[in-house]
Amino acid sequence: MLHRRFVGRVLVQSRRQAAVLALCTALSLISLVALEGFAAGVRRTLIEDARRLQAADVIVRANLPFSPALTAAVEGLVEAGRIAAVRVHEFYSVARAAGGPATLLSQVKVVEAGYPFYGAVELAGGRALAEVLRPGTVVVEPAVLERLGMAVGDRLHLGETTLTVAGVILVEPDRPVDLFSLGPRILAGAADLEAMDLVRHGSRVRHRYLVRVLVEAQVPAVVETLSRAALAGQETVETAGGADSRLKRFFDNLRFFLGLVGIFTLLLAGLGIQSALTALLKDQERTIALMRALGATRGFVTTQFLVLVVLVGLAGTVLGLTGGALLQHLLPRLFGGLIPAGTRLGLEPRALVEGGLLGVAVVFLFAFLPLYRLGEVRPAAILQAAEQTLRRGPAYVTAAALAALFFVGMILWQVQDPRIGLLFVAGTLALVGIIWGLTLLVLGGLRRIPVGGLVLRQAVRGLFRPRNATASIMVTLAAALAVIFATLLVERNLNATFVQSFPEDAPNLFLLDIQPAQQAALAAELGPAAAFYPVVRARMEAINGVPVDRDSERRRRRDNLARTFNLTYRDGLLDDEVLTVGRALFRSDWPPDRVQVSVLEGVREMHAFQVGDRIRFNIQGVPLEAVVSSVRDRTRDSLKPFFYFVFQPEVLAAAPQTRFAALRVPAADIGRLQSRIVAAHPNVSVIDATAAARDLGRILRRLGTIVRFFAAFSVLAGLLIVVSSVMATRAARIREAVYFKILGARQAFVNRVFALENLLIGLISGILAAAAAQAGAGAICTRILDIGYRAYPAATLGLLAAAPILVMAVGMAASRGILRRKPEDFLRRQDA
Amino acid sequence: MAILEAESLSKRYRIGPREISVLDGVSLQVPEGQFLVIEGPSGSGKSTLLSLLSGLDRPSAGRVRIAGRDITDLDEDQLAPIRNGTIGFVFQAYHLVPALTAMENVMFPAELAGDPRAAAKAQALVRRVGMAGRADSFPHQLSGGEKQRIAICRALINAPAVVFADEPTGNLDSASGAAILDLLTEVHRERRTTLVLVTHNPRISATADRVVRIADGRLREDRSHAP
Repeated sequence: MLHRRFVGRVLVQSRRQAAVLALCTALSLISLVALEGFAAGVRRTLIEDARRLQAADVIVRANLPFSPALTAAVEGLVEAGRIAAVRVHEFYSVARAAGGPATLLSQVKVVEAGYPFYGAVELAGGRALAEVLRPGTVVVEPAVLERLGMAVGDRLHLGETTLTVAGVILVEPDRPVDLFSLGPRILAGAADLEAMDLVRHGSRVRHRYLVRVLVEAQVPAVVETLSRAALAGQETVETAGGADSRLKRFFDNLRFFLGLVGIFTLLLAGLGIQSALTALLKDQERTIALMRALGATRGFVTTQFLVLVVLVGLAGTVLGLTGGALLQHLLPRLFGGLIPAGTRLGLEPRALVEGGLLGVAVVFLFAFLPLYRLGEVRPAAILQAAEQTLRRGPAYVTAAALAALFFVGMILWQVQDPRIGLLFVAGTLALVGIIWGLTLLVLGGLRRIPVGGLVLRQAVRGLFRPRNATASIMVTLAAALAVIFATLLVERNLNATFVQSFPEDAPNLFLLDIQPAQQAALAAELGPAAAFYPVVRARMEAINGVPVDRDSERRRRRDNLARTFNLTYRDGLLDDEVLTVGRALFRSDWPPDRVQVSVLEGVREMHAFQVGDRIRFNIQGVPLEAVVSSVRDRTRDSLKPFFYFVFQPEVLAAAPQTRFAALRVPAADIGRLQSRIVAAHPNVSVIDATAAARDLGRILRRLGTIVRFFAAFSVLAGLLIVVSSVMATRAARIREAVYFKILGARQAFVNRVFALENLLIGLISGILAAAAAQAGAGAICTRILDIGYRAYPAATLGLLAAAPILVMAVGMAASRGILRRKPEDFLRRQDA
Repeated sequence: MAILEAESLSKRYRIGPREISVLDGVSLQVPEGQFLVIEGPSGSGKSTLLSLLSGLDRPSAGRVRIAGRDITDLDEDQLAPIRNGTIGFVFQAYHLVPALTAMENVMFPAELAGDPRAAAKAQALVRRVGMAGRADSFPHQLSGGEKQRIAICRALINAPAVVFADEPTGNLDSASGAAILDLLTEVHRERRTTLVLVTHNPRISATADRVVRIADGRLREDRSHAP
């Protein structure tokens, strides 16, 4: 039976606790809903505008020149009037201002007339690309002009030719976001490609056919025709909508990671829901006991509060959905240039429905235990002044198990990768478990250690007030702050290592695409400091006779076997290499006709290669089967070049190849050296790694800000638990405040005690968070990233100062009405 | 000399449109060292009178003076040193701070006053009431009688001029109640502390120097017993 008036009265009477409960529910949803809606918007833009973002209906890609069969198939379709096609070559090259020393590594795109089929290259001045990009000219991004000190009309050297800058690119349809790249864009016409002489054997060139299908319905048939002609594993044919673009992969990965942060917030907000509901029910405990004394059944009592929880949960869910929808409109600003311009965000019905269901699930899951415990409130409670201690019986275990199952399910649903999902679960459990253990240790110590000073002692005693949820608050806050602080520490360490102080022993200048014939001249130019490595580009086709599943490999979030590998050859180990399996790089006891390959430990993350495994490579059309002879590892990760696969020189010496060189040059000399190399060897790409690292640092900072923004919601969950804990212990706090006053304490004393109690909670949470973050970030930097680690004591002190102040401010704001309570008022209520 | 003076004390509450008079024009002078019992039936206004006399509540009309100082218009912070040094309280519901041990509860007022001998004084008092063995227990580990003994120690630690006790035996069985009453009267005699005790137990009234009877918010009877 539902007693509507009673439910209404309780809602009004316990409105503060109900508000915190609704806020926790909203908080559990807000980031996931915002993220889901935002991601759906970006995804929709990527799909709906796919043709514009790819500038074509169908895209054919290859890292090597197209095979004759594929070229013939494209030309056949063009001649049949079914498609229009343009060829696009994309590569890095160093541009040099004519008549000046300045050089710049730039991303060159050479296009045929007709590009782009969809969207438009917007140029400053508003003129059309076809009108401006004539033979002998290029259009460039503003950064090219800025960094080379040039203006429109000036001439620049690109490869073996000199071209006039005819325009400035504002928007390029198939390069919609500001992802990391080694250099700004130079767009040139196909008529000048040969004169540049930059596409040579073995050069790193991305080849594309952009195809416009004249009758849209024929897109599948065209894809089918071209796919049949394409070399499997070397040439890919995709529709614009299905294209696995770099942008899509980047965004999917980012969304995946932020989704995990969202689930972390959900977990902490769930704890907040439980804490807030406990506070609400505690507020009503005497009423419940009285109802039971008057004959109300357990079912009746539970029904009333279940309805109340549903109402408040629904309000929280609506609030969360609304907040999430509003928040997603702020996200484009947060993501800055990382999402396509013109991304349309709106209400995503799927995100709202999923969010709504999630809200209901979270509320029920975390409300279960407090509601179940309603039945344990005995009528005698109305006669007892002391707190009732409720046992942790089977219901507690069931609720905890259900919550754990729910989260594992949520994570697997979000991650859709059982291995990463379980790793995340294990990581979260380890983080929360360790912090929980440390919290109990600290609290246990505080309880036993004699504390001097009256105010401090009262504050410490306050931590152990029954139902104070001190441990829950500390664990929640510490875990949330640890995640935020750890991302900051990792970002700063990466920045310090690779951006601010580029490693002293690491090469800072890399030369790519050196033709073998150029090595001698370059070696003379660069001196003995330059190390040259032969590079043979190849794809992996099969392992032990089992073909590499390229589709599933491409779906992996990390490095994968479907990409093109750079093979090299040499006789021995590098200075920074050690053997982990095998006694020599190559086996002398194997027959001489067996091709041997040494693999790097890193590649074993993609496949668990063992000595004796057979790997079949395809080197520009020529198959080569090699047997794994040893496994190497690097003594430390650095910016020194490394190769996953090393062959004996006699195997690859005759294969089509280029050279790669790395050297350390004083920063001041880089510009001049770059100019000299480019003047003498226009086809060689020179990468200034310090400049590239700065660019990477900028992206790192933005990504760090995004992660911290989402993680900040979990801190809010922790603060809401502070508020609900104050509410759950409202009566006890009032009693303490009143007793202090009756015994002669001034208001200032009462304030100091309560402020210090909150300060202690914040300080301990901050210390635990700092310790966990330092340990976690230290492990990530030294074990995974293999870089040095700095603890950033000033930032750590900042955390240790900020956490207590935050908790104190929130705790004191929540205690305002409590602290000012007058003794007589309290005593009269007690008597009543 | 009167340590406690009440002059025409009245207390009225407003509940909605109704005004309820709980105490009406009570005047009283309590000499130093006197054991005064305020008695009366339930709802007579005796606990309200105690609240007004001790400064826990403010009268609607009239004045209260303790040790010559008018406390009627003092705010909470101005009352704090008086509650700490001049007054001690013993309540029916004990009102011990749950988070503090028995010893810490006793020490607390002395520590508030900055007394460096707080611990020694508390130990002496706890020993005096036979609670030395339970000093480290928390309130929930003590029986009602034990809690009240600790509450008495706490009320006495700063050697107050007046101890107010509101039904101090009301929650205890007769044996514990008798022991508490004995303790209160003993320390009253030992320390010559003024004791103002509210009760409706005639046996307690019989041990007092003076009994005032309240009924319907008015002082109905004021009788002194021969020493």
